[in-house]
Amino acid sequence: MLFNSYTFIVFFIAILILHNLPFPWKVKKINLLIASYIFYAAWNPPFILLLWLSTVVDFFVGRALYTQNNVAKKRLLLVVSLIGNLGMLCFFKYGGFLLENFVTLANAVGLNFHPAKPNIILPAGISFYTFTTLCYTIDMYKKKSEPVRSMLDFSLFVTFFPHLVAGPIVRPPQLVPQFETPRTANRQQLMQGLFLLSLGLFMKVVLADSMLSSTANDVFNASDKLPALDAWMGVLAFSGQIFFDFAGYSTCAIGAALCLGFVLPQNFQYPYAAIGFSDFWRRWHITLSSWLRDYLYIPLGGNRKGKLRTYFNLMLTMLLGGLWHGANWTFVVWGGLHGFYLWAEKIFKDRAESKSSLIAEPAVMQASMIPTISLSKKWNGFLYALLTFFLVNVTWVFFRASTFTKAWAVLKSMFGFVPKADPLLTTLAIIKVSVIVSVMVIVHWLMRNSKVLEVIPKLPWWVLGIFWAMLILILIWSQESSSSFIYFQF
Amino acid sequence: MISNPLARSALLMLTIVVITIACWEIHLRSIGVSAASYDDGGPLWADKRAMVYEPSDKATVFIGSSRIKYDLDIPTWENITGDHAIQLACVGSNPIPVLLNLADDADFKGKLVIDVTEFLFFSPLDGGSAPDRYIDYYKKRTPSQRASFQINHLFESQLAFLDKDNFSLNAYLDKLPLKNREGVHGGPDFPWQFETVSFDRQSAMNPEFVADTNLQNKVKGIWRFFRSMDKEPPVSGAKLDSIFIMVKTAVNKIKARGGQVIFSRTPSSGEFWQIEQMGFPREKYWDRLLKETACNGIFFADYPAINHFICPETSHLKPQDAIAFTKEFIRILEEEKGWKFQKTLMAAN
Repeated sequence: MLFNSYTFIVFFIAILILHNLPFPWKVKKINLLIASYIFYAAWNPPFILLLWLSTVVDFFVGRALYTQNNVAKKRLLLVVSLIGNLGMLCFFKYGGFLLENFVTLANAVGLNFHPAKPNIILPAGISFYTFTTLCYTIDMYKKKSEPVRSMLDFSLFVTFFPHLVAGPIVRPPQLVPQFETPRTANRQQLMQGLFLLSLGLFMKVVLADSMLSSTANDVFNASDKLPALDAWMGVLAFSGQIFFDFAGYSTCAIGAALCLGFVLPQNFQYPYAAIGFSDFWRRWHITLSSWLRDYLYIPLGGNRKGKLRTYFNLMLTMLLGGLWHGANWTFVVWGGLHGFYLWAEKIFKDRAESKSSLIAEPAVMQASMIPTISLSKKWNGFLYALLTFFLVNVTWVFFRASTFTKAWAVLKSMFGFVPKADPLLTTLAIIKVSVIVSVMVIVHWLMRNSKVLEVIPKLPWWVLGIFWAMLILILIWSQESSSSFIYFQF
Repeated sequence: MISNPLARSALLMLTIVVITIACWEIHLRSIGVSAASYDDGGPLWADKRAMVYEPSDKATVFIGSSRIKYDLDIPTWENITGDHAIQLACVGSNPIPVLLNLADDADFKGKLVIDVTEFLFFSPLDGGSAPDRYIDYYKKRTPSQRASFQINHLFESQLAFLDKDNFSLNAYLDKLPLKNREGVHGGPDFPWQFETVSFDRQSAMNPEFVADTNLQNKVKGIWRFFRSMDKEPPVSGAKLDSIFIMVKTAVNKIKARGGQVIFSRTPSSGEFWQIEQMGFPREKYWDRLLKETACNGIFFADYPAINHFICPETSHLKPQDAIAFTKEFIRILEEEKGWKFQKTLMAAN
């Protein structure tokens, strides 16, 4: 079920009513669990079995991991869990990709191997709920937190509908304790939740789908060569689209949970105001980057095993992070480019630090894999943010293009290596992209250290009321049909 | 008194939204916009596509481009024949992808009318046309999308402003008089009066459009623009042969399952008709199509009762003419092509 659908509106009203009726807490949790399964089944009912399987296996394996003292048996249990979770992910998400690469390799060494192309449907959200359950079993293995006592609470933790399909990726300590005591939203939380839902839907439906997606599609689907202006507009449009689409989903998810009285972790913090790439990854898909840091980068050794190993760990984390997004080498290159940027930033920072002790030691923030660059002057900061935004846009080319040929064609156009090409985009499309992306970058910069829910109480109630009405009216006016969120495919 | 500022903001928001939408709706209705016009996209098409499995003696499926959507008056058809008319034609598109989809569906064994607009029907398939997208939507339709469609139907049937093609934000932005760079063209700006789409996917011109020659000339200008954009000569040679083979194979599959297939050529007039005759000589395209597929056909020019219509914008019939056309079309089907319909069979018994 999509947040941007009539079905969800009806579903959510029903859930809100049920959740606020005077039922015992356990009944309310069962209601939420059933609702979450309905939410998932509304997309493709058979795949609910996978969700059940993952939930049941990880609940029992997690508990056994925590109580087992025999190291060998404990490792065996962990391997069972990893094979179960990652095996499903590999089969559904990477099955076709692995086979395709194997065939290419086999043909390259002279083997005549041409198997039928597998027709595997990717279950929605499998990458997200796999990471959610994986972090539980790994935590149990390391005894980082207590096992969840109730199967009901664990099932609800895995399937809670606001985060189920596209995150934020939650950890057990963030959500499970919230299921242990009765909770409904107070009026303040309900209003905040509804505002976030409105804002998230506006970002997704109006900005991503109605204003930017067609320009990005036109440019990335173009068969002819493009002038630099058109190529840049297409990439900037995608840059805006991917942010509004995914941050819109996360905002809806956080808002929907808040309406029910639950708090989900923040997933975006104005990423296009990032100064540098470590800062970018503290602001973009925060729950994924912190997951990769805690369950991949640090277990690999992080920065504790020397400089060379740090660089290796950083690159491997980013490459696998890229692959997590999709079964295509273009995603790996996207991750690799980010890894390269992080390398460059780290080299720059290490040199600067060794040259001058006057630069203050920056703090390592929550989702950081490497420390941040500290900049005192605001304008310098804005220029660095623009440079970061520029370089991020280059990476989006590989993220959006379906093939390397297409990616190179767009890059060549962007940097003026196509001498003569026919223009593609209308003046209106160029204006839309220019205005929306400029406003987006400025808003990100102005809001870079604040949060929406901290800002709205500072506005006069009538200003907020008019702003909110504008969001809803434009949302209705856009009349965009419910198109899927980009991150559903990941 | 509401003490919570956020709740006050929410109440103000709700008030502004309700008042603005009510004013907007009242304004649109006052200028003659019908509330009963539907978004003619994938969800509505998929809803009709799912109906093709009705028994062949109770339903007829229509595929084609926009002409059959305007020219077949569904209430007239259903009233006379007692048959359910399932309209699967898509505007501005080649219907062959729909034909192939029906041919590959072993459960489809019904009656099929294929309307031919030559410059669309005899054109190469690109895989990304509206019918391709609609078929894909139909195949992947989720339970949630089906439920949303039903809820949307409730709203769309009551509210005139819910018309994406004419009254959405992008529809208004597209009307802005912005000059494009040389060689770049925006989408066509059809007057809203040109098309109202019913829930059974029949298209009809608004009475204002039928009466206003300025609006008609605007659409004629759009047809001229489209023709000027099409630099390719009409398809011929091996490409044309491959189209005939594809259509023949698909038609044979349907016939082999007991289905009935007939081709139709609905009216055009004026300069459009002249250009079509020059570009697509009948013997090279229409006659060969019937011969290759061994199917019957109804070509409007062959029947005095339907060859005199003047299309307001040269390509589609006005609603009154669509009724007359449909009556005569049914008569030809029954009396000359041997088709049987529920109501006439019952009357005969």
